[in-house]
Amino acid sequence: MSEEPLMSVRDLEKHYPITEGLFRRQVGVTRAVDGISFEVERGETLGLVGESGCGKSTAASSIVRLEEPTGGEVIFNGNGRGGATRNADGTHPNDVTRFDDRELEAFRRGVQMVFQDPSSSFDPRMTIGDAIAEPLRVQGMDDRDRRRAIVEDLLDRVGLSASDADRYPHEFSGGQKQRIALARALVLNPDLVIADEPVSALDVSIKAEILGLLDELQSAFDLSLLLISHDMSVIREVCDRVAVMYLGEIVEIGPVSRVFSDPKHPYTEALLSSIPTPDPRASPGGIELEGTVPSPSDPPSGCRFHTRCHRVIQPAELDIDQSAWRGLLNLRATAESGAVDVAGIRERLAADSETDVTDAAVKARIRADFDIPSEVASETAERTLSRGLDQIVNGEFEAAADTFSEAFTTPCEETAPERIEHGSGHESACLLHEPDRTSDDGEGAGGRRVSADE
Amino acid sequence: MGTQRSDRFDEVEWDEISQSRWFEPSKNTLGVVFCTLPLALLGIYDWQVLGERTATFAFLGTEWNLEGIDYLFGFTLVLFAFYVVAPLYQNPRMTRYYWRQFKRNRPAVVSLGWLGVVFVGGLFGPLVVSAPEQSVLTGHQPPVFLSIDAANVATCVGDVVGGRCQGTLQHPLGTTQGGKDVFASIVYGMTISMQIAFITTTIVAAIGVSVGTVSAYAGGWVDETLMRFVDVVLSFPTLLMFLLILYIYGAGLGMFILVFSLFAWGGTARYVRSKSLSVSEAEYVKAGRLTGATTAQVVRRHVVPNTASSIITQLTLLVPGFLLAEAQLAFLGLGDSAVPSWGQLISAGRSDLSFAPWIVLAPGVVLFLTILAFNFLGDALLDALNPEAEAENE
Amino acid sequence: MTDDASPLLAVEGLTTAFDTDEGELVAVDGIDFTVEAGETVCLVGESGSGKTVATESITRLIGSPPGRIEGSVRYRGRDLLEMPEPELRTIRGYDIAHVFQNPQEAMNHCYTVGWQIVEALQIHEDVPDAEARGRAIDLLDRVGIANPSARFEEYPHQLSGGQKQRAMIAMALVGDPDLLIADEPTTALDVTVQAQILSLLDELQSEFDMGVLFVTHDLGVVAQIADRIVVMYAGKVMERGDVLDIFERPAHPYTRRLLECIPEVGGSRKGGIPGTLPDPHDPPAGCRFAPRCSHAVEACRTGGQPAEHAVNPGQHASCVHYRSDMDRSVLRDGSREEQPAAGGVSPEDE
Repeated sequence: MSEEPLMSVRDLEKHYPITEGLFRRQVGVTRAVDGISFEVERGETLGLVGESGCGKSTAASSIVRLEEPTGGEVIFNGNGRGGATRNADGTHPNDVTRFDDRELEAFRRGVQMVFQDPSSSFDPRMTIGDAIAEPLRVQGMDDRDRRRAIVEDLLDRVGLSASDADRYPHEFSGGQKQRIALARALVLNPDLVIADEPVSALDVSIKAEILGLLDELQSAFDLSLLLISHDMSVIREVCDRVAVMYLGEIVEIGPVSRVFSDPKHPYTEALLSSIPTPDPRASPGGIELEGTVPSPSDPPSGCRFHTRCHRVIQPAELDIDQSAWRGLLNLRATAESGAVDVAGIRERLAADSETDVTDAAVKARIRADFDIPSEVASETAERTLSRGLDQIVNGEFEAAADTFSEAFTTPCEETAPERIEHGSGHESACLLHEPDRTSDDGEGAGGRRVSADE
Repeated sequence: MGTQRSDRFDEVEWDEISQSRWFEPSKNTLGVVFCTLPLALLGIYDWQVLGERTATFAFLGTEWNLEGIDYLFGFTLVLFAFYVVAPLYQNPRMTRYYWRQFKRNRPAVVSLGWLGVVFVGGLFGPLVVSAPEQSVLTGHQPPVFLSIDAANVATCVGDVVGGRCQGTLQHPLGTTQGGKDVFASIVYGMTISMQIAFITTTIVAAIGVSVGTVSAYAGGWVDETLMRFVDVVLSFPTLLMFLLILYIYGAGLGMFILVFSLFAWGGTARYVRSKSLSVSEAEYVKAGRLTGATTAQVVRRHVVPNTASSIITQLTLLVPGFLLAEAQLAFLGLGDSAVPSWGQLISAGRSDLSFAPWIVLAPGVVLFLTILAFNFLGDALLDALNPEAEAENE
Repeated sequence: MTDDASPLLAVEGLTTAFDTDEGELVAVDGIDFTVEAGETVCLVGESGSGKTVATESITRLIGSPPGRIEGSVRYRGRDLLEMPEPELRTIRGYDIAHVFQNPQEAMNHCYTVGWQIVEALQIHEDVPDAEARGRAIDLLDRVGIANPSARFEEYPHQLSGGQKQRAMIAMALVGDPDLLIADEPTTALDVTVQAQILSLLDELQSEFDMGVLFVTHDLGVVAQIADRIVVMYAGKVMERGDVLDIFERPAHPYTRRLLECIPEVGGSRKGGIPGTLPDPHDPPAGCRFAPRCSHAVEACRTGGQPAEHAVNPGQHASCVHYRSDMDRSVLRDGSREEQPAAGGVSPEDE
């Protein structure tokens, strides 16, 4: 075979319309997956990691077309379809999103999935033998005995006994069901298995067992694996490469060893530092992300992580303490959403002290709430801040919001970062790494991106 | 055991395997077709060849005649045998599991036994017990071990002791005013009750499951239209409709069953729809789609079986309603008096309640027990057929 | 530790059984542990080990019937299991507070967040509405919920998972509790949110000087927050001791295998623990872990769960190999095996 990857996902999008009213008028879109690109090489394990709601599961179901993607392409070169070149009109003959029914049916033999929840992944009214044999039956294998023989062989390989074929799902434990799910995924001898959180519902002792089995089967049958997980330790144990997703986008991708030892994107850094290490002598991780993931129906502009990023870039003219800068941006965001609760602060301060609450005390409390020092180390910034705080205390919230949004701006909210290559296939999408931060035209961007023939 | 065959999944040559051919009818479906065919032929023969008044089995020398409703009953029995009983036999492991769950509920086991008696009695009773016949002279005979003032009976079949007519084994439950044997009438009433139970259930299940699944899977305007139609069906005044038909055309048991079941599937359809929607979210349905199966195949293999077993409970709880409705209509004299249902029997005895209460009480108790049994059964099935609830105990 | 006063919570011989159709199910079978003021004790175990049942038995949250709770649970010297229900109600949710795993289910979606905190407060204290409201907002502020007076008016579905768990913690804090029982409070949350909640709990613990009984299956979390650890398996305590001892010198084979399941600690080892949890209706005759234990000998298979043997000061393991007449060297099975030295042990490097 050539060096083409087994699967190459390019700019995959899955947008859900948000509709309203009787006539289902579309009022917006939820960008669950918003242009992700990655490759899966033959025999490798790619991890897709991210917090809940980042779109990783939607990405998986769009790739296998359990849901129809709304954009992008998924080029699958398995099933003996390798070596194809693009058509004259730029479409690719191996593009899964354009497969017709017959091609799609054949594609099912190339890619299978393992799901998260062992309790719902089997039809409670079907023996597991029938469940494993079902793909064979649907794909046209009419020979009942042969199906049975294959099922028994497979059960044996995943560590169960052939006689288990006649039992029903409720007779198995969660770990055993996940073994059976693996058997079902393997029965058509696929090139790629997509495992969506295969061990997150399992106990730690069972988890390790299943991961071991996955590893074993992968090397025995030369499988490629796309492993979706929120658990970085699972990714680290099983994967060769990892892609980190945040709000429908891939922010960093690269070999596991490099991403874990030298994360380039601040989000990856934060994610890694929040994993509790099973070492009682280790001090807890340094970076604590604040707030929650924004809604994918209204993602932040520019870099989607800038609203929570601890390394958010300061404007050229500013050079203050990073946590103070983060605090200023948070204050600005709160002011813009009109949620600075001056009355509440006054109330609470009043409860604590006998005397009247002074404006200065309120302002000091706001600064403390947002981790802003009493004197910001930049004269202009401090002046703007004081003006804004005065406006807030006087109840001029809109004016304060304007004051803040004019002065406290970051390049991160203006420019969507391109993926930057750091060597050995390690890429991240963060403005911090752009060689020339000031130029934000798209020139040369294409060159820096990974292309299919790499 | 062919020479080319390999029994390992990674050595299957998929290119050699013929393209998917889904429709291979199961043994059970073949069985249904096989049994329905003679029934249908007999029906056509009865309808087209034989005259109105000729008994169906006249060629065998018997008076046994079949009517439309009997054919329908026969068909539902065939369905019951091949789609309910046969699968239980074919999957002994699952059956044992269900039975273990089910038998925890003692009253339900007793109920099942009682319904078994009614079922067998209804099916074979008429072959053993001769039909109750009018015999004015032997009216108002008391049940065995009881007695009645001899003044109330024309002729006492048993002994008359101290001016009281004693009951006999000849009429174990006594007779009606017209001298019809109450026991025989109850046995013949079992047939009617079973016919009502089976036919309504089949009609309701067929329409409810179809409408519900189509609605869930089609979505959009189809869903909207069907569900609004369900609203119409649910709010339709079935009783008034039936009375109207009754007054215009006259109505037998067949019409009763048809009218009531055609307006009773609304709740089932709604239930099936919501159940289908939740089942279609389950991961095993996704896995089914990933095998390459079409939506129709997935619905048939996974969605319908998993909704159907849960609506069994609902249907079981629907039957008592029909039985009661029939009895009430019969009691009010709005039924077909030629139909020997329990309701008719109760209705026949209402005027003699003061001195011959058994005419009302015997069928009344039987009706009550049957309805109670259906309710107990429904509750127990709800628990037994719900493997999801069981899984949570692990 | 303090010797003069009784511990904050002392659990002795706690047994919780349920009547089921298949017979009696003993979920927790005679467990002992203590929690001192200001310390965090982690109850560690896999699902089915009985750890949740154990914590819910402490304040008799488990109804009886169907449950049957025996043994003694002494809170500041008073036995909670003997205490009449009305008196217990003054302690439950006030002096001993609970935080549950799933904030989605633990909150009532028909009422505002604030109302629920106010209610929790007014059950125990006779405070006027205005004051209760002020205290509730104050609590929301203390658990790090931004803009607390606005959140006070919101319904649970308007909060994110992390905020809901914060609100649950606020609700638990209404009575300045002495003991906080947290049952997998971060399991349903994302790892970044988990880090937020853990550091919040840490802050609150020192602020309120609470004892914390923390139930979890995540050994990473345990290593981060625990002072002492109680390892449970199939309703029995396998081992208990200080966090450093357990992580660095695990004595019981089950604890060892459990630690080896974590990728970072076990290194290259994969494969988990073979076998499955024993049937709770029919537990093994000897040590509960014997059927899955690679060191099991004949003595392990009979005579009930072995007694607890002191391995190190403050560290006890329920394993026959630590009996004085047994040879401990059989437990040596891998590179990271250390001979559990009797008596004082010098702290070792990882």
